[in-house]
Amino acid sequence: MRATSWRLTMEAGPTKAKPVNGDFAARIIKQASRPALAIGARITEHEKLIDVVERLSNAGVAVIATAHAIRYTSERGIPAHKAGVVEATHLLTDPDWEGFDGKGKPDLLIVFAINLDLENQTFQTLKNFSDVKTLSIDRYFMVNATYSFPNLTEEAWLDYLEELCQKLGV
Amino acid sequence: MATKPKKVKITKAESPTIKIGDLVIEIGEIEEDTWAEPMGPTPKPSWVELREWDKKLLNRYEPFYSPTCDMCCLCSYGKCDLTKDKKGACGITQRAQQARLILLECVIGAACHGAHARHMLEHQIERLGADYRIDLGLNIETEAPIYRTIIGKKPQTLGDLLEGMEYAEREIQNLLSSVHTGQEGDHLDLESKALHAGMIDNLVKEIADLAQIVGYDFPKGDPDAPLAELGYGSVDKDKPLILFIGHNVAPGAEVITYAEAYGKADKVEIAGICCTAHDLQRRDKSAKIIGPLSEQIRFVRSGIADVIVVDEQCVRTDILEEAMKVRTPVIATNDKMGLGLPDRTDDDPEAIVEDLVSYRLPGVFIHKPEKVGEVAVKVAERIAAKRAEFKGKALPEEEELRNESARCVSCEKCQRACPVNLHISAALKEAAKGSFEKLASLRKLCVGCMRCESACPRDIKIVSLMEKAAEGETYSQSYKIRIGRGPILDTEIRNVGAPIVFGEIPGVVAFAGCTNFANGAIEVAEMAEEFLKRNFIVVTSGCAAMAIARYKDENGETLYERYPGIFDAGGLVNVGSCVANAHILGAAIKIPYIFARRSLRANFEEIADYILHRVGAVGVVWGAMSAKALSIGTGLNRWGIPVIMGPTGTKYRRLYLGRKDIPEKWEIYDAKTGEKLVTDPAPEHLAYVAESKEEAMVAIAKLVMRPNDTTKGRQIKLAHYIDLHRRYFGTMPEDLHLYVRSESDIPINAKEEILQILKEKGWKERKIPDPTMLPRMIMKKKGAGK
Repeated sequence: MRATSWRLTMEAGPTKAKPVNGDFAARIIKQASRPALAIGARITEHEKLIDVVERLSNAGVAVIATAHAIRYTSERGIPAHKAGVVEATHLLTDPDWEGFDGKGKPDLLIVFAINLDLENQTFQTLKNFSDVKTLSIDRYFMVNATYSFPNLTEEAWLDYLEELCQKLGV
Repeated sequence: MATKPKKVKITKAESPTIKIGDLVIEIGEIEEDTWAEPMGPTPKPSWVELREWDKKLLNRYEPFYSPTCDMCCLCSYGKCDLTKDKKGACGITQRAQQARLILLECVIGAACHGAHARHMLEHQIERLGADYRIDLGLNIETEAPIYRTIIGKKPQTLGDLLEGMEYAEREIQNLLSSVHTGQEGDHLDLESKALHAGMIDNLVKEIADLAQIVGYDFPKGDPDAPLAELGYGSVDKDKPLILFIGHNVAPGAEVITYAEAYGKADKVEIAGICCTAHDLQRRDKSAKIIGPLSEQIRFVRSGIADVIVVDEQCVRTDILEEAMKVRTPVIATNDKMGLGLPDRTDDDPEAIVEDLVSYRLPGVFIHKPEKVGEVAVKVAERIAAKRAEFKGKALPEEEELRNESARCVSCEKCQRACPVNLHISAALKEAAKGSFEKLASLRKLCVGCMRCESACPRDIKIVSLMEKAAEGETYSQSYKIRIGRGPILDTEIRNVGAPIVFGEIPGVVAFAGCTNFANGAIEVAEMAEEFLKRNFIVVTSGCAAMAIARYKDENGETLYERYPGIFDAGGLVNVGSCVANAHILGAAIKIPYIFARRSLRANFEEIADYILHRVGAVGVVWGAMSAKALSIGTGLNRWGIPVIMGPTGTKYRRLYLGRKDIPEKWEIYDAKTGEKLVTDPAPEHLAYVAESKEEAMVAIAKLVMRPNDTTKGRQIKLAHYIDLHRRYFGTMPEDLHLYVRSESDIPINAKEEILQILKEKGWKERKIPDPTMLPRMIMKKKGAGK
């Protein structure tokens, strides 16, 4: 699968994301020891997004609610840690950080529904200053993540997310 | 006050014992020191002298890096890939490279304001003389708080300010040299230098604004500065209109002077975009503000302007090309941007006017402000009639709007180029069917960068179409803004000093900066209103001050009409242009000076330490775009003032983030006892990016907390923090235990609930210190050291 960055100017250097589909993304999540999902202000962009968060949470993925997304996770009763996206990213660059629950640092950060600039810069920070792998399940190809969904129409994106959840058994 | 250097030359002198020929004796400036305050430790500090202070800050607030590019292309060894652990050919690491770029941007910003200050100061000295006194009126004795703290002198005349300029220029040169290949390689030293550049930026802005306040007799801290007009609908389109774009008001002020002197004041319309507009209104309240920098091309394309005068900073570099399309001549007036136009400074004004009115030239370069005054007015008057077919009629007709929209092939290249990811193709699709609402609604979110048009393979003029779709609303609206008042009065500081330091006025929030908004300008107005209702002091400047003005309530009033211009609880203070925002920092500096009687003189560290731990001020730069915005913010950080940016701020590549989970990061001394103790993580961050306005508002309420807050003050601040957190996050803050020092800090209306939370967190009461990070500030007990 080939993909180009949604915003072409986001290409930061020679190290680029591997484009993945829902099935592959599910395998990456299954392989991770401590996957975490960061969501943000764009969580209200489509009504199904919060369902995906709930299903991933049910699959054992820890949820980090950035911006004011904690409002929506709380309403649905989804357990989540609240942090600014830059705060959470900063913590992930610290090799000694033990995670929000004190049980260990996430080794995979899954990201969607955050402001695109912030998403991209999150991937850039983690690519350069941590060993944390990153997976974008947003509808745009995020070239600086480790893995990313390709550029998708809204319909296709929801299909990808559905496939991801089904492959995770949730 | 300094006297001028003297030179004595002895051509020939002879005595029985000595013979002299061609002897020259030079005597430098003679200092006449009339300031009773003793000289502090750091007059005109180099970076080295403030490095230790920076180290303290950077230890608590770690630099957080987020590269926009993984490579370095600053020398011909490169490009070098610096991703992760790789190093460049010069040995530089990714972390150091990011800090290096931050330093470069801060130096660019400081140089920009510095060159502006130098130009304005020399212009005023030329007009009024070096001995012209700096007199800001009876209520402002502390005329230059930044200057006094950094330079260690009290400037009394325009000429005195030259010493500050010389210092700043030396420092800027030195800092810029550090960026060169094979120089500084330590990211923390690079950050420290960026902080130094930011501080220099703050200084030169103060110099620039002082020079123009006294030179042009701008308002001198008037809380009742009059209301004036803003918006496309504020201009009289039947009059010849001269449009100013940029930041340096010198040519604009001379245009007003010429128009007044020759009875043209009510015959031509004077309007501005970006900070020059603020300063035009400070010079003459009948001048109009069109809007912030994002309006440039849109307004130019409307064809309403008959002459465009550009000065410096934030002017689009394609302004001449755009102006030519609507037959508007351009006058470039400043050596920072000549636009390739012929230099006509020394030519006869009538000949210049003739060349422009006849369109023999699309524009001219005139770097003498007085001559711009004459030429601009004459050209506007003569060319207006010739431009009738363009004036206000240059936007596409409705049919063209539909037809052009129909040419869109939905390739989405426009959206992929758009910094705010606007769904342009979808809106064009609807416009093609004759439904323009969607396209019109995008205008409120568009930052006016024009990248969509550059990206469009079919060359559709998307911004013009958007402008046409929104024409009805945009071109009829006018708004009220309070004219930039300049400095904060010493008397106001006397009134609010104690309530701010003790926390009873919950905080000072300053909205400043550019218009690179992720979700439209309305968010700035909404945030400002929230904190005005909460009795914070809200201060603003630059494009943010304009953004606040562009929204009315249901009664048709802007916030400037509803809130007074005083620097007090519930006041909305517009200080003016970008350089005027030096007065916001100036107010923070005046608090330790006037209220706490701390010495300002060459006493940077002590004043910054005081502000960091006691003055609950926070800057919000919601649409930060420029290098100048970065240097302003970085300067504020060095003085201990945190800054929150909108999502686009992350592309500056660096933040300063605190770690509230590491108690030792928050160690301070209790100045009264010398005891080292861990204090509250307040302010938690120094440079922060919030993703949404909701997150920003909660962050503001948290970042105004200071370790020195009294229990009453902390109670008030916590009440706002909890209320906003509940409203926007739907939950109680999870970090309350870090900010409650004793039960008396707890807001009464939630006491039981909070006590329960504290119990679960294992909270223990702790003392309120007299906080300082400077060992020299520890008060020595009697008999100590015997």
